[in-house]
Amino acid sequence: MYCLRFLLIPLLCALIFTSNTSQPAQAADLETALSGLAEKSFKARLKAVDDIAATQDERAAEVLDALVKRQLFITKADGHIVLPDPAQEGSYLFAFNGETAGDFSKSALKRVKINNRMRSAVRKALGTLTLGSADRNRRLAAARSIFNTRDSSALELLDGAIAKETDSRVKREMERARAAALLASDAEESDKLAAIDVIAPKANQDALALLTQVVSNDSGAVAERAERAIAEMQSALALWATAQNVVYGISLGSVLLLAAIGLAITFGVMGVINMAHGEMVMIGAYVTFVVQDVIRTSMPDLFDWSLLIALPLAFGVTALIGIAMERGIIRFLYGRPLETLLATWGVSLILQQAVRSIFGPNNRLVGNPSWMSGSLELGQLTLTYNRICIIAFTLVVFAALFVAMRKTSFGLQMRAVVQNRQMSAAMGIRTKWVDALTFGLGSGIAGLAGVAISQIDNVGPNLGQSYIIDSFMVVVFGGVGNLWGTLVGAMTLGVANKFLEPYSGAVLAKILVLVFIILFIQKRPKGLFALKGRGAEA
Amino acid sequence: MSDLPSSVLYLDGITVSFDGFKALNNLSLYIEPGEMRAIIGPNGAGKTTMMDVITGKTKPDSGEVFFDGAVDLAKLDEADIAQLGIGRKFQKPTVFENQTVADNLQLALSGVRGVLETFLWSASARDKTRIDELLEIIRLTHLRDRMANSLSHGQKQWLEIGMLLAQNPKVLLVDEPVAGMTDSETVETARLLREIAENHSVIVVEHDMSFVRDLDVKVTVLAEGSVLAEGSLDSVSADERVIESYLGR
Amino acid sequence: MITGMLLRSLDKGSYWFLGLLGLIALLVPALHLLLPPESALHVPGYAVALMGKYLCYGLLALSVDLVWGYCGILSLGHGAFFALGGYAMGMYLMRQIGDRGVYANPELPDFMVFLNWSELPWYWYGFDSFGFALAMVVLAPGILAFVFGWLAFRSRVTGVYLSIITQALTYALMLAFFRNEMGFGGNNGLTDFKDILGFSLQSDTTRTVLFSASAVAVGLGYVLCRLITRSRAGMVLAAIRDAESRTRFLGYRVEHYKLMVFVVSACLAGIAGALYVPQVGIINPGEFAPANSIEIVIAVAVGGRGTLIGAVLGAVLISYAKTWFTGELPEFWLFALGGLFVAVTLFLPKGIAGFLIARWQGFKDRKSAPGTATVANEGPAQ
Repeated sequence: MYCLRFLLIPLLCALIFTSNTSQPAQAADLETALSGLAEKSFKARLKAVDDIAATQDERAAEVLDALVKRQLFITKADGHIVLPDPAQEGSYLFAFNGETAGDFSKSALKRVKINNRMRSAVRKALGTLTLGSADRNRRLAAARSIFNTRDSSALELLDGAIAKETDSRVKREMERARAAALLASDAEESDKLAAIDVIAPKANQDALALLTQVVSNDSGAVAERAERAIAEMQSALALWATAQNVVYGISLGSVLLLAAIGLAITFGVMGVINMAHGEMVMIGAYVTFVVQDVIRTSMPDLFDWSLLIALPLAFGVTALIGIAMERGIIRFLYGRPLETLLATWGVSLILQQAVRSIFGPNNRLVGNPSWMSGSLELGQLTLTYNRICIIAFTLVVFAALFVAMRKTSFGLQMRAVVQNRQMSAAMGIRTKWVDALTFGLGSGIAGLAGVAISQIDNVGPNLGQSYIIDSFMVVVFGGVGNLWGTLVGAMTLGVANKFLEPYSGAVLAKILVLVFIILFIQKRPKGLFALKGRGAEA
Repeated sequence: MSDLPSSVLYLDGITVSFDGFKALNNLSLYIEPGEMRAIIGPNGAGKTTMMDVITGKTKPDSGEVFFDGAVDLAKLDEADIAQLGIGRKFQKPTVFENQTVADNLQLALSGVRGVLETFLWSASARDKTRIDELLEIIRLTHLRDRMANSLSHGQKQWLEIGMLLAQNPKVLLVDEPVAGMTDSETVETARLLREIAENHSVIVVEHDMSFVRDLDVKVTVLAEGSVLAEGSLDSVSADERVIESYLGR
Repeated sequence: MITGMLLRSLDKGSYWFLGLLGLIALLVPALHLLLPPESALHVPGYAVALMGKYLCYGLLALSVDLVWGYCGILSLGHGAFFALGGYAMGMYLMRQIGDRGVYANPELPDFMVFLNWSELPWYWYGFDSFGFALAMVVLAPGILAFVFGWLAFRSRVTGVYLSIITQALTYALMLAFFRNEMGFGGNNGLTDFKDILGFSLQSDTTRTVLFSASAVAVGLGYVLCRLITRSRAGMVLAAIRDAESRTRFLGYRVEHYKLMVFVVSACLAGIAGALYVPQVGIINPGEFAPANSIEIVIAVAVGGRGTLIGAVLGAVLISYAKTWFTGELPEFWLFALGGLFVAVTLFLPKGIAGFLIARWQGFKDRKSAPGTATVANEGPAQ
């Protein structure tokens, strides 16, 4: 491969540079070409950039890269072009061969200046230079870069690269780049039409920009075809945008679901409005913080496991607080939902202040484990791994809860109590225990939600406050006592929010959703999935 | 429809379903002016739902409900229907616990219902005599200024019947008036209802057979949301299907 | 007829309460204006403003008690009506600044100049006039309450559902008022007021007049609430509170009654907000925060709901406690408030006033024959 390149490149270059008179006639060696950068006039230095590219030297790409990054220097003493040694601070390498040039102080060096025209020339040159790289990703990047710069001079280089490219994805990108370059040149109409057909199938903003330029530069059949392609592309892009909104919406919806589901349980089973629910989420997030803090100081190797360790702890801590609340306060207030609301609000204030007193009023940093960073690209969709993890985690929690409600005896007892409290008590179900455990379960799930939310939101004492109203809206919208309702409610609100945002901005979207729910409640006072019949009256 | 004018309540082909379960299934019932009717039936037969339909609490999925031959009750809500002259007593006695016995009756007293009217209202001499009369009828004169929540169960039932009378409705719907009453209270209540029936149409839903016998009126048997049999208590209790629906399952 | 209704609705406690209000309405200004600052009895200016603020909260609490204590509607969004009244007054005060602002623009308030707006938005028209502003103080909250209540009560949204959507209402309004585009000063709200009706807001006299006006407003609000709750309409409200569907079967249009009391209450809250703004000198979207609305509800619970007087006392007490704690022990204020929420709901469900009334009743009952006297209408059902 390597030798092949050495054979081919001079040939290719000869082809390119004979066909294009604006370029120097023959390739010079890198050292000579570099010396042009020391010239005073920008024009001469601009030419130097072209010369460097024309050498097709394997170091040319690196040097040009250093140039745009403003990391290329001239030694004041003898006018050598050097660049910093990445291995050792203060030490420099000769640009033309990469060998050590010695240590220089800042004052002994002069930076090679670059202006915008040079910058675009470099970018163009880099595109062509890296097409032959052995690294697949660099070739891909080069193809994309040519696609964006539409450098018609790279045409022949591309032809050669395409011919020997074995990777089908890279090849496709190169073909698209070639089509773009061709459209920028003064090629035959039929070639241009074919080029549009190459570009048209893959819709993205860059392709759209390219075609728009074609429409303004060309006329006749080419412009027409380009216009048609633009129309198709725009509808494809709209589809992608919709898909992206749906995915973002589902992501937001799963956070809402996670926060709301515990609330749905306590509200559904016991008719209790737990205003401290948001604080349970907040405490779950703080448990994650504490776990990570301990791990950081005593066993840093375990950091990637921190969330898995935090989950059971958060569940346990919040469930215990929940049970304590139920036993200590709420059980005295059954049948007085409005008073329960006030008392739990009081608890929420106490918990907030307690956390503020212990951890301070500022946000605390909770890190993402390494396996949660990065993102996944699907066509035009970008999904960060932490969002994907939260969606997956939500579904797991939901499914587990669903199974627990349907298949376990505790779930059965819980459903029995929802339907008819007196009857359940008469049948020997210990309703008090069911109440306490239900409350513990609801709070525990809020704690789990806190662990998840710590990954995407600021962890501070007011964390809970920002989720409580949204969670209530989900429960009210979805209907009480029905897990499906909560699921559908959360997803609908999440997606609706994301669809409104581009038109109205985030805040207005939120307001609109709130207003929508207020109006929706008028139509269906008991939510989407309401119980009907006699049971609903209780 | 020819018998419409003569019926104070006309239910035809009423169906109500909750999540697929048919609480009322093609139910038809006619009540004549001044008639007293007892409705019996096993649990879940649709007795309470029927009352809900008449009083506007539940809208029928299909069928017609007419009052006084001309008024379509399915189009009205509870307050409208109550103002038309249909009064209802609930299965569980519901009186206004934090108000006095006299105030409970005063709230029920026919006449002003609008917001502004009630704001400007003050009791006339006639209202006061009417309340005294009612207190006599329900035998709660001595408890006139007591809070309703201090009354016994039976007294609450009577107070609620008194409130019905104060409304002076054309039709009274009475749901299990003697549930939880002592025997002597039951006898008293039967007497009270017969007295009322002299100048009102009354529908009584009841489980207590001896009470129904005491009333001595036409009986309708409901089962699974429709009318199973109609006639005197003796004739319906001899009916095979009635016996089956009560004992068979 | 009106005197008859007044006589019918006021009892001995009412006269004491109104007398007390009248006394402080006269006494506080007198102690502030007439005594020299070095006198022990002199009331300093900041204290007058502070007490005026407490009275505004008292009026707000009164409005909450009217709907919650007498009709069972637990509104967690009354702060919204308070804030709307406050904004209406704030807009008038903003217009009064004229060209004395930082940018000295005679046409536009400072924040609009800052946002590069070229002309006054239409909804600011008319606020140059005090009369128009006063009308809006009542109308803005009143209309919002009417629309919201009409929608909610007609479709029978009750109990905790209603509480939650009232909370959502004030939350949505808070978000909206935070936006600069709304034209109400965004984050910073309206402030830097200069004068009201030509009198400087900094002067001692204006301050005392505002204080007395607040006391009078609380008194008038109280009388209005008594008139409503002591009429037959008040009996219907209590009936709705205790057994809503029964009331409906008696032929009362429950939604009309709820709507009436909700709108009246919202208007009272708006007036409270309008009196509050010139005394504290600022109105910003923070007033819409759901926490504020809940705080006033707990003030009513502490004082004793369904007692009116108790609500006012509760609000004054809680506000005073807040001032004291934030000055002395800021860390503990939320602990104290939270603890109070829990303690009152658990141990004093009828609040301080309800507790005292029950004690007094027990005392009277022991003295006279048992079971004759009752406190009709006082204290809701549990």
